Amino acid sequence: MNLFSDIYNCYYQIMKSILKQQTALTLPELRTHITQTGYEESLLYLIPKLTTGEWDLFKQEDGIYLSKISKEFYVPLTLLQKSYIKSILQDERIHLFFSHEEYVRLDEIFSDIPTLWNPDDFYYYDRFSNKDPYNNPDYQRHFRTLVSAICDKQYVDISYESGAGHRVHHHYLPCRLEYSIKNDKFRLLGIEKSKHQKDRVEILNLDRMKDVELLPLTASRLPDINQIIRSSYYKEPVHLLIHTERNALERTMLQFANYEKNTRKVDDHTYECCIYYNQKMETELLIEVLSFGPMIEVLGNERFLEQLKERLRKQKRLSP
Amino acid sequence: MSEFRELIKSFPKTREYVRDFFVYGFKTRDEFKEKSPRTYDNERRRIESWLSGFIKRDYTEKGKNISLAIDSNLLDTNPLYRVWKTKSFTDNDIMLHFFLLDSLSALEGKTIESITDDILDNYGVFFDSQIIRRKCNAYVKEGLLRKEKQGKELFYLKNPDFQNMIHEFPMLLNAIKYYQLSAPLGMIGNTILDTLSKENRVFRVKHSFFVHTLEDEILLQILEAMQKRCSIQLSIKSSKNSREGTQRGIPLQIFTSTRTGRRFLCLHSCRSKRFTCTRMDTIKKIQILEAVENYDNLKATLQKNHPYIWGVSFQNERQTRMESIKITLHIQEGREDFILERLKREGKGGIITRIEPNIYTYEKEIFDCNEMLPWVRTFTGRIKDIECSSSRLKNLFYSDMEKMYELYHI
Repeated sequence: MNLFSDIYNCYYQIMKSILKQQTALTLPELRTHITQTGYEESLLYLIPKLTTGEWDLFKQEDGIYLSKISKEFYVPLTLLQKSYIKSILQDERIHLFFSHEEYVRLDEIFSDIPTLWNPDDFYYYDRFSNKDPYNNPDYQRHFRTLVSAICDKQYVDISYESGAGHRVHHHYLPCRLEYSIKNDKFRLLGIEKSKHQKDRVEILNLDRMKDVELLPLTASRLPDINQIIRSSYYKEPVHLLIHTERNALERTMLQFANYEKNTRKVDDHTYECCIYYNQKMETELLIEVLSFGPMIEVLGNERFLEQLKERLRKQKRLSP
Repeated sequence: MSEFRELIKSFPKTREYVRDFFVYGFKTRDEFKEKSPRTYDNERRRIESWLSGFIKRDYTEKGKNISLAIDSNLLDTNPLYRVWKTKSFTDNDIMLHFFLLDSLSALEGKTIESITDDILDNYGVFFDSQIIRRKCNAYVKEGLLRKEKQGKELFYLKNPDFQNMIHEFPMLLNAIKYYQLSAPLGMIGNTILDTLSKENRVFRVKHSFFVHTLEDEILLQILEAMQKRCSIQLSIKSSKNSREGTQRGIPLQIFTSTRTGRRFLCLHSCRSKRFTCTRMDTIKKIQILEAVENYDNLKATLQKNHPYIWGVSFQNERQTRMESIKITLHIQEGREDFILERLKREGKGGIITRIEPNIYTYEKEIFDCNEMLPWVRTFTGRIKDIECSSSRLKNLFYSDMEKMYELYHI
């Protein structure tokens, strides 16, 4: 079972999508398709293969390319892919997707397939202990309703208990379900329905949802939430100097891999890094920066720097 | 100079380059000292091509810098999976892939001779029957085809279309969309989405370290050894000094940090007879050896040790079995109760005691307290005292604080 195999090759995928289109294609159309689905330079390699007939996959007539492959063409799953499905069926979160009856049937279908791993082959040693209640039937129902709403671009009515214990309910357009590996929790990224406000991504914890109901209202398309999230970033990123002692450079680059950032070398022992973030990410980022101690020096922005200094002032006052 | 190709024959060399660009994307040509400039140029060009859309180009006094701008919180898939889809192949490979899988059905088998005739008649291309047999047998091994003997003849059939199963279990597609980002070996889940011509537009994953996929080939072999309860021999290249060496042991568990992006193989060392952790990104090769009789006992012992491992260390500098730590914290009751919540959910079962109003202690026994230092620092501003059987942690914490007071003129 090979992971690095031509069966999964990008060129195979490009050709499959072109060949399954049963319409006659011109060379510019082929080019457009390859540009959209391939790597940046795939065109340079693929077009000569098709035009010279080295890959004799098309009937060519007067500059028109017609697939030799039938529209019923499909590629079955490999044993590696089936084993992967068998492995994810062992995960506790899989019950969010299926009823008990469905799960039993799936488990039976994959009974002869070997697993690639078992859940206890992995140990997440710094994961938070208060994970979501994945076995709770209400939680499972809310999860499935939200997945369905995202797929169908359908609005939902969510009854929610806030951090302060207040019960509120609003109408949202669910855009993504976000799972945090560290928190072992799901959150909904959704847009609150409002006539007056600008679109803003609201983040709601699934385990605080008391009820989720589909509304008879759909959106024509989901908004570009990345654009909305990026527009929520502070104009001034956090500006850090990383001193390379205690292997800090590699450690910071890995730890901050989740953030949008720019890094450049200042000298052999110092690097400069700008991290983009918004108010909701601020505390987590501050804690992460503090965990590095003096190996990271915060130069700005002023707001972040002041919060860091305030923690240090408090610490100095408390120190024995 | 040979013609530039996007596709490659083997993965390990590329793995190093992609990792370096991902982690230290800001290195210039001169800084890649281990390789020749031409190799650097070709590798860089490939990476730029595979990951176009995620490449940032900056021009500095020292030359052009490229780096990978991959903000995992904002992505529906891991762009580094693209690197796995670059295996080179021959013209015959790709043509046979389409002709064979188009010619065969799931219901009625065909012999090699009849497949050879079919391909010539229907697609106008002649292949030697030996080449077709080889490809069919390779695809049987991969699981795409199956073969059945009827009398003296061998028939090849295509395995069923997975799309049928998705029609029966529509949520299975969503499960694959989710797990391709959140579970190990997500690259395989991603290839299933390719097979179905589907993309994820439902899930996001936070605190996922995309760079881990570069170790997936090694991980797959380690998991195979774990499934078979076998010992292994690892070829390792140190991340600190690039020194190469080998290590023998019994692989028991993959230790993953959800914060630092580090991933380790925990094994029981054949030499020291102790548990030890090796960083996954330092493992270059793995050889699966013989099955181990007491595998389940070793794994059970490791599980019992979990509460006493803070990170990946099973022993401390003083060679004592256990160290103890007690942190006294100032927590403003009512206003800062979330700090107590943090101690509970992140403190691995440490005992939290209210000493007096707004003063709490956190106590824990652990193999190696020094591993706790980054976590302890996250409570800066609230630490009244640290008592630890190893003086190093306390000394380092307070000397680091002194450096920070100086750095920020506090």
